[in-house]
Amino acid sequence: MTTLSTDQFHGHEIQTHAGPGHTSRMYCTIAFAKREFFDALSSRWFLLYTVAFSVLSIGVSYMSLAGSGSQGFAGFGRTTAGLLNLIMLVVPLMALIAGAGSIAGERERGTLLYLLAQPITRTELLIGKYIGLGIAICCSMGIGFGLSAAVLAFNAGGVGLGSFSMLIVFTCMLALAMLSLGMLLSVLSRRSGIATGLGLFSWLTLVFLSDLGLMAGTVLFKLRVQEVFAIAIINPLQAFKMGVIVNMNASLDVLGPVGSYASRTFGDSLSWILALTLVGWIVFPLGLALILFCKRGGI
Amino acid sequence: MLMSRILILLISIGVIGLVAPVSIASDQPQSVDVIAELIDQADDGATITVPEGVYQGNLVVSKPITLLANGDVVIDALGKGTVIELRAEGITLRGFTVRGSGSTVDHEPAGVRAFDGPVTIEDNTFEDVYFGIDLRQSPETIIRNNHLVGKDLELGRRGDGIRLWWSHGCVIQDNTAIDLRDMVFWYSEDLVIERNKVSQSRYGLHFMYSHNTVMSENELTDNSVGIYLMYSNNITLKHNRVVNNRGSSGYGIGLKDCDDIVIEDNALLANRVGIYIDNSPSSVDAVGLITRNSLSFNEIGLLATPITHDNVISENVFVENEEQVAVHGGGQLTLNSFEKDGRGNFWSDYAGFDLENDGIGDLPHAPRSLFRNLLAREPNLRIFVHSPAQQAIELTARAFPDLSPQPMFTDPSPLSTVPKLQLMPSSDSTNPWPMAVLSAGLFFSSLCIGWFFVYTPCESDTQVPHPPRRVDA
Repeated sequence: MTTLSTDQFHGHEIQTHAGPGHTSRMYCTIAFAKREFFDALSSRWFLLYTVAFSVLSIGVSYMSLAGSGSQGFAGFGRTTAGLLNLIMLVVPLMALIAGAGSIAGERERGTLLYLLAQPITRTELLIGKYIGLGIAICCSMGIGFGLSAAVLAFNAGGVGLGSFSMLIVFTCMLALAMLSLGMLLSVLSRRSGIATGLGLFSWLTLVFLSDLGLMAGTVLFKLRVQEVFAIAIINPLQAFKMGVIVNMNASLDVLGPVGSYASRTFGDSLSWILALTLVGWIVFPLGLALILFCKRGGI
Repeated sequence: MLMSRILILLISIGVIGLVAPVSIASDQPQSVDVIAELIDQADDGATITVPEGVYQGNLVVSKPITLLANGDVVIDALGKGTVIELRAEGITLRGFTVRGSGSTVDHEPAGVRAFDGPVTIEDNTFEDVYFGIDLRQSPETIIRNNHLVGKDLELGRRGDGIRLWWSHGCVIQDNTAIDLRDMVFWYSEDLVIERNKVSQSRYGLHFMYSHNTVMSENELTDNSVGIYLMYSNNITLKHNRVVNNRGSSGYGIGLKDCDDIVIEDNALLANRVGIYIDNSPSSVDAVGLITRNSLSFNEIGLLATPITHDNVISENVFVENEEQVAVHGGGQLTLNSFEKDGRGNFWSDYAGFDLENDGIGDLPHAPRSLFRNLLAREPNLRIFVHSPAQQAIELTARAFPDLSPQPMFTDPSPLSTVPKLQLMPSSDSTNPWPMAVLSAGLFFSSLCIGWFFVYTPCESDTQVPHPPRRVDA
């Protein structure tokens, strides 16, 4: 972690900055965002995730298109299905760990006290960090998706451009939601080790445990379709997955009776409902993190 | 004298002025009675060339004549009843635009309805019709190169694009149908069905109790179901292209109680189900042959009911279907053969090897999937496909073989290389540039945002001089 360069963040600048209050507040937030982004770039994890995500998404795109060329047909659907699994594994991990390290890491190193001593509000600090990390993660995935799109364009032509774009939008929302949750865990934890542990546990829960639990519940309690659907979309990963599939197929019929039920009941608004679920996962954990962060001390 | 000349001039100008609208009036819609009169005056077997224009009303042809459109001839029923009824054999209808039939369910109004055969219906355009072409006991009719567009109604409420009822030996070639219900063949045998294109309809080609037919080179895209054969025997499907049929049934090809079906060299791509077999063949000594097809990128490649038996499935290519083979309701497909003369199918998920390099995998392909097994028992679980939890279950089953279910089927000699298939090429070409632009855009915008954040100075740095550097305590 690079140390804070004092000439950028001490009070002088902000006080001498000529302009209305909210401009300087914006400036503080952006300055924090920049610093966070810079930290992300200079730390190894960002580079590692970018390389890993790029290589995996190129691999998945290439493998799922193998053999399709001879048939003059683009297997875009399969590429997306392959990418879905990859995204659902890697992106939450990346965002949760990044978010978990953000505040707790500063707190552990003692730099958080220093930051809070500056004439900035805690909200600015937290939001600034969130924006910086969010942009860093989205850029990291943007590189991966860009390379993946190149593979698609080369092998399959322009098939599925719209749904591929929607895949990117939903993935960014998923990343922001997971980042939001990670920051909440970070605010709650005293040390970065604990925060990371909590982040990993949340990842395991969201990716595997909750789905497996719901599967068992469906079989054991003979849950009805509406119950299965309602419980399933609480999980942001399922909401993300359904959102991508709805935009790809215009219906959730491929997800069996539960999907058919959802498509019939909600129709065209289904895509919005799923997107709103993800937005909820962005807003609520972040809001909670803000409230807790403002109440807690810097230590 | 001069006065009278001026008067004549004025009058003649006036007359021209009056005549002009009259000559425009001849372009105005006329009644179809004009055509009916032409038909009345003609002898049997005569050829009538109908002059260009719009003719309104319902036309009934009850004489064996040839009707040719001279240019753009529109016959418009203005939303009432059947547009043209053919009530004699030996009628030819060529080059017309048939428009605006009624849409009531009770009389099933159509663009063209034939009550006697053979007739020939060629090169016509149908717009805004409830049923398109409806043959009622018109054997040996030729329906060729017609373009049909239906009414904007809900799928089940629409009429059929082409319907045959008890009309043997018809030829149906090169027709296009969009936004209609089915192209359906009832009790009609020995048909030739070639090079038709059906899209955005319910069932592309639909057979009911219609035997002995060859269907080839048809293109069925974006329908609810591509080809559905029901209770129809001895049918050959060749070189058809069935793509993206994903309605509520969503079968590329569906077979229901059909004997002696041959499915060869078809491309079945991106459907919900590539081929669906429901109790076919149903007779004791009948067989089904499914050979050299590509079943790729479907949600399910081949779906069959557990009682399905005596199908020979060989030299097909199963590539990247979400489920390659599934049994409807759970069970096994052991009563069918997945190889013929020592050659099986190509499976993109085959995990074996070919040490002898003879093109045949050394290990049999016997896929077993715990999750699929669970799905067959509890359909609601399908909501969890495409998720890491599904992979976790599969991994568990692989790690603990006791949990692994019985294989659904066994291909004893899977092909290790993709066999050369003779499929119908795609007629639509895609433009790779938008995707390439998206790719470049994403890549460079990501890099640019990174560069912007790292290398541009903070906003205030340009406005405020740096204070002397403080030393941290």
